Amino acid sequence: MATPVDMIEVSGLTKSYGPIHALHGISFRVKKGEVVGFLGPNGAGKSTTMKIITGSMAPSGGTAKVAGFDVFEDPVEVKKRIGYLPENPPVYGDMNVESYLAFVAKLKGVSGERVRSQVEKAIEKTDLGSVRRRLIQNLSKGYRQRVGIAQALVSDPEVLILDEPTSGLDPRQVAEVRSLIRELRGEHTIILSTHILPEVQAMCERIIIVNRGRIVAEDSLDGLTNRMAGSLEVKLKVARPSAAVETALRAVAGVATVLKTDGGYSVNIQGTGGEAAIEQVAEAAVGARAGLLELRKEAVDLEDIFLKLTTSEENQVPGGVA
Amino acid sequence: MRGILVIAGKDLRNLFMSPLFYGIAGLCALAWTLVYFLGLEDFARASAMSAMQGGQEGASIHFVVFARHISLVNLVMIFAVSAMSIRLFTEEKRGQTMPLLLTSPVTSTEITLGKFLAGLVGAWALVGVSFLYPLSIRVFAEFDWGPLIASYIGLLLITGCYVAIGMFASCLTESSVLSVVMSLIFNVLLWFIGAMSDASQEPTMAKVFEHLNVGSHFVGFIKGGISMASVIFFLSVMGLMAFLTQRVVESNRWR
Repeated sequence: MATPVDMIEVSGLTKSYGPIHALHGISFRVKKGEVVGFLGPNGAGKSTTMKIITGSMAPSGGTAKVAGFDVFEDPVEVKKRIGYLPENPPVYGDMNVESYLAFVAKLKGVSGERVRSQVEKAIEKTDLGSVRRRLIQNLSKGYRQRVGIAQALVSDPEVLILDEPTSGLDPRQVAEVRSLIRELRGEHTIILSTHILPEVQAMCERIIIVNRGRIVAEDSLDGLTNRMAGSLEVKLKVARPSAAVETALRAVAGVATVLKTDGGYSVNIQGTGGEAAIEQVAEAAVGARAGLLELRKEAVDLEDIFLKLTTSEENQVPGGVA
Repeated sequence: MRGILVIAGKDLRNLFMSPLFYGIAGLCALAWTLVYFLGLEDFARASAMSAMQGGQEGASIHFVVFARHISLVNLVMIFAVSAMSIRLFTEEKRGQTMPLLLTSPVTSTEITLGKFLAGLVGAWALVGVSFLYPLSIRVFAEFDWGPLIASYIGLLLITGCYVAIGMFASCLTESSVLSVVMSLIFNVLLWFIGAMSDASQEPTMAKVFEHLNVGSHFVGFIKGGISMASVIFFLSVMGLMAFLTQRVVESNRWR
């Protein structure tokens, strides 16, 4: 396999729990060595998708393939290649860190003589050296989460599936896990899910946003930001806000909404006007003698994209409360 | 095969390193010691009696002491194994470690057999503790090994059934209490299926129930006979329960 192949190939996955539909046809591909962020509000179907890819749950329809092996026809081949961190780290409280990791390594089929070195590597990568002989039940939530990550890494799998890898960690540990995942990029194919936005910004090359069991966007971070370029948010700070100023701002071509904020206005510009529109907004404010103190273009960040995509999706649901 | 041993090894290691096993073993030993002591008293009295009457046939230590001990061991094992078998699946579910097993390159059959092996070794370790009692008699007196060994083979087989039943109960639920209660009820039911033969009017059915009578199979071993039919009966119970457990474990992937 000289050319980069699709390491994970998911097509048309559906999953229903009785009358509740958790997934409505999810399809995506992940190339070898790619880091993909699976983003969505709680209950969007992130964990369900991951469970299906790891073979711990069957889909109601659709297929999932890992490294060319179908998850349901060759489950053992798939599982040999996957390291999975579920939402709750699957640790045994009555084992110590070292023996737990050795158990997982053996369970994953690491050959006898390599178990020790793999355990050492995983402990080193997740910085668990200081607690290696402690019982897992006596560890803090953050350490347990790291044991969970170590467990996923210990068999040196080609694919890592991490369900909310930074939950329960303190900010310093979050930073460490992020840099760990950046290090792993390239040698492993990684899918990680989260509902924390800066996390995908920090770690992922590609983002898949899911909401209510559907993929609502799938692109690189830049791609998603560009997609939102049609809309601009400008914040104005003025000395003398008045109704006249507001009317003047509204009159500018392309301005969709003007919201009164504390000591100024927030102006939303739609369409392709771009910087010309900003200039006109400034002129309008000056022309209305509002005493313009500050004009700031708001950067469109992932959070806005996310909110926009996930809420507009909600609006499409018939009878949904918009 | 590797998966079976890895899972069984982990479970056994955790069992023997936990206070649970020693607590249960200690309590069992307490009950066995009391009754064993009473059995010895009876035996001493019976022997003295027969010696006074000048009879050639003394009381049999096997029936007066050992058989009573073994039936108590059997009774206690129903409870002890039910308690110990929570660890097999219920604890995995409660600790949310099932996903680890289900996403590892092992089949449901390997998981089930690994768990069964672990349960079996754990339960047989308790049976081993109970074997110390008759063994201690050997220091003072000669007796016939035959019936004792046969009884213990029966005991190993029947505890194997309890383990398989307990394992099945534990894979059904996440609640420890429910797991123990189900296991106890299934084990007790196993003993009562045979009693159905008395209630059955149909001669064929009565015959079927007679074959399913755990009591009569077990008594055969205590009397010192190893019947192939009984061995096969116990092995089938274990096989059936292990099969059902495997189906339940496999269904985790399909629900």
